Amino acid sequence: MSYLIGLMLIVIAFLWQVTLEGFQRKVTAKVQRRVGPRWYQTFMDIFKAFSKSSISHGFIYDFGAMMTLGGTMATVVFLPFSGIVAFNGLDNFFVIIYLLAVGSLGMAMSAVGSGNPWASIGVMRALTQMVGYEVPFMIVVFGMIFGYGTSSISALVEVQAGGFLNWHLLRMPLGAIVGFISLMGMLAKKPYDTPIAPAEIASGPLVEYGGKHLGMLMLQHEFAVFIEVGLFVNLFLGGGGIVAYLIKYAAVYLFATIISAVLGRFKIEQVVYHFYKVPLALSLIQAAVVIFTGLGVEIWL
Amino acid sequence: MTINSLIAQGMISSLLVYLLTKLNKKLGAFLTVLFSGYLLFVIFGFQNSAGEVFSLIHFGEFELTFMTSHYAWYFAIVLTLTYFLVSFFNPYWMKKMVNPAAYNMLFMVSMVGTVGVFYAKDFLTLFIFYEIVVWSSLFIIPMGKSRKTPVIYYTISSIGSFAMLYAIFYLYHSVGSFDIQAVSEAMSQAPNTYRFVFFTMIVAGLTKLGIFPFHTWLPAAHGSAPHTFSPVLSGGLVKVGGFIALITATVIPSFKILAGDLQLMGVPFENYLIMLLGAVSIVVGTLMAIKQEDAKKLIAYSTVSNSGYIIIGLMLNDQVGFAGGMMHVFNHAMASGAMFLSFAAIAYRTGTTKMSELGGLIKRMPLTFAAYLIAIISLAGIPPMSGFASKWLIFQGLASNGMMFIALAAFFGSIGSFLYVFRPLSAAFLGQLSPKHKDVKEVPWMMQIPLIIMSFLTIFYGIFPGRILAYISKIQESVGLKGVEIEGTKIIAATGMWDSLVITLVFGGGFMLAAILFFISPKAKPVDQMNTYTSGEFIYDPDHYHYAKNYYATFENNYGNKKRVELFFDAVALRVKEFGEMVKTMFFAKSVSFSIFWIMLFFTLVYFWGDKV
Repeated sequence: MSYLIGLMLIVIAFLWQVTLEGFQRKVTAKVQRRVGPRWYQTFMDIFKAFSKSSISHGFIYDFGAMMTLGGTMATVVFLPFSGIVAFNGLDNFFVIIYLLAVGSLGMAMSAVGSGNPWASIGVMRALTQMVGYEVPFMIVVFGMIFGYGTSSISALVEVQAGGFLNWHLLRMPLGAIVGFISLMGMLAKKPYDTPIAPAEIASGPLVEYGGKHLGMLMLQHEFAVFIEVGLFVNLFLGGGGIVAYLIKYAAVYLFATIISAVLGRFKIEQVVYHFYKVPLALSLIQAAVVIFTGLGVEIWL
Repeated sequence: MTINSLIAQGMISSLLVYLLTKLNKKLGAFLTVLFSGYLLFVIFGFQNSAGEVFSLIHFGEFELTFMTSHYAWYFAIVLTLTYFLVSFFNPYWMKKMVNPAAYNMLFMVSMVGTVGVFYAKDFLTLFIFYEIVVWSSLFIIPMGKSRKTPVIYYTISSIGSFAMLYAIFYLYHSVGSFDIQAVSEAMSQAPNTYRFVFFTMIVAGLTKLGIFPFHTWLPAAHGSAPHTFSPVLSGGLVKVGGFIALITATVIPSFKILAGDLQLMGVPFENYLIMLLGAVSIVVGTLMAIKQEDAKKLIAYSTVSNSGYIIIGLMLNDQVGFAGGMMHVFNHAMASGAMFLSFAAIAYRTGTTKMSELGGLIKRMPLTFAAYLIAIISLAGIPPMSGFASKWLIFQGLASNGMMFIALAAFFGSIGSFLYVFRPLSAAFLGQLSPKHKDVKEVPWMMQIPLIIMSFLTIFYGIFPGRILAYISKIQESVGLKGVEIEGTKIIAATGMWDSLVITLVFGGGFMLAAILFFISPKAKPVDQMNTYTSGEFIYDPDHYHYAKNYYATFENNYGNKKRVELFFDAVALRVKEFGEMVKTMFFAKSVSFSIFWIMLFFTLVYFWGDKV
């Protein structure tokens, strides 16, 4: 049964996120005063990629593509979606973060396995950026885990039940800011799109991909976005019923899109420096407030 | 079979190995495989034994005794397993050794020494065998690349040895016994004595583990030791330090003795200070590992970082974090052993461990690649490998105590480990195959055995970490802690749970789904490694087309290039040397003037002695 729910979650993630990706492209276009593609353009892109011929750079190139998609789909199964948890009690925060890393590792391996230095440079940048955004985000959630004594995400959603005043967005405002900045980094949206920088390093890790390999990586990207935005919605906006969850999801995702549509790109050392200057400091303050004063957890309204 | 006869047999076998290697190099090396396998087999039989006492020697009022216990067995089995697996590489390196007989003998002696350390009943036995381990490894290290590095190793080791010896004598002075149990009982009435002993004795553990600021010997010694001995150093001997820390903080129950002291985040401040050192070494190890050009030095610095996790886990002394630290001992032994062995395999075939000179070896050495890949997935703490279980437990232990600064280091080290473990994978195994390595072959089957076994154990205990944790919970109960909670394949902490089998199955399902999608799509056309997008440039040389040098240059620029701890040690060394020069010129000078000065001073003092001035 749990496995069927998991399969259903994967299908929902695919339909919803790919649709929203189309809207996101439309929104970016409107901000930049273009017309933009149709909303179902991303579906067409993915299906087209799978039907085209492709080239293979050897075993690890294929294996990595399968590993990245498989790992990311497995992560979708563990993420609570509007109160639906496939495996009860196993939706652990650290499991989700590290299982998502399986996908990243697969993609990195596959890309470097192609033998193209652009891909290596892109992977190097992606890993460096990961060190930047992951640590502040984990520190904020660390404070939450200590505060409530649980690292299960659905349990962290439950404590926010009962109106928007209980959301962590208001209980832990600094943490929410850090969470959103980290989310931008995870999504590799501008100004944090250094790893894929198309004009500098020819799309970085994606430089060699075509056909079904590209299709799988596009799918993996959509699932990864579903997890990352979903984490933010669950942890800071209190999850909610299906409609509420999807509305919150769309709001967060499109807000990130609008910000990124008007910004330029950081250099990679600027990314790390930036993340360790402001968000890390904010996250430490937030964690200290939660751990030493209890404000936002025990003391609240 | 008893422990003392096992030790005696081990010592005799080391002599036997020495003599037979003199006769025939290969034969002696095969005997190390045989004898270490025998030792592993016998030690395995002590799994459920606890409290059995064996006496080795009596002299006067002292005696050297061994006692079996669960924690001793755990450490002994990890170490003997590492030694046994690494010994499969020995026969292939005999030709390259300057003195193969001595190498084989010292290999066996250090193995027997570690067993002696773990099963010691009293501090005297522990210290003697600890020194046997240090000295035997000291003479193996210069058989590798450099003769200068053993000096660094010996200096830092002797800091630990002297500190421990002092602590042991201090304990004997105040308690009147070397026995660990007697000391542990006596200490509960004397927290002030224990506080001093805690800090002096744990220095030995910190030096061996390579905790900041004693980490400098690891890259020096591991990086230049013979390729077959680096895995033992990193996977095995470093854990001896973990054992000393375990004895000091847990077997002598620091939490109960120091309960009256200042408590920081739920632990006594003494333990917290050591944890902070562990946190610093995680960060230092990670940052330094990221910028190494030599794969062996990179893995050595990663050992510094992982030792930090071990010491943090052990110092937590609780239900969850302690179990994580103990399990990390095994995980790190397997993972870093496999990493070092796969680079030993590469060095056997190509003659180098410099990453920028390698590349594309996956096409020639697929099994070595697979072993390395599984090892790094475990080391980076990614499910479904065993490294995730220990890191998860340590994180939960930190989270339930709210130690945010140590958690900061732990998270940084964990994410940072993705960077440094990926670099050798990318630079040595993936990318462009250099023309000079066109004819490289996979290593011989005997060298493949340890790689396969290590990978198998890493995967097996990744899917069923409960098998190890069940034994660790026995250890926890034997030292007076609450055992870690396991339910089938579920691992339960106060702040959450996870199920390793479910994760593996879901990941497997996801992979199957992706594979189906991959294979029903049109077949891909294989192309040559140079057939890539090059921005229109004409590329003819794979070596120039391989991205391997200064891999993380942009990231390194953020934290500079100074080795500050090494600079500090160099400054200390300079001062000591200057002081020695001063002593030399004043007392042992060749010129007559100083001698005349001392003689005159002497007679002046004699002359004025007793005068009322």
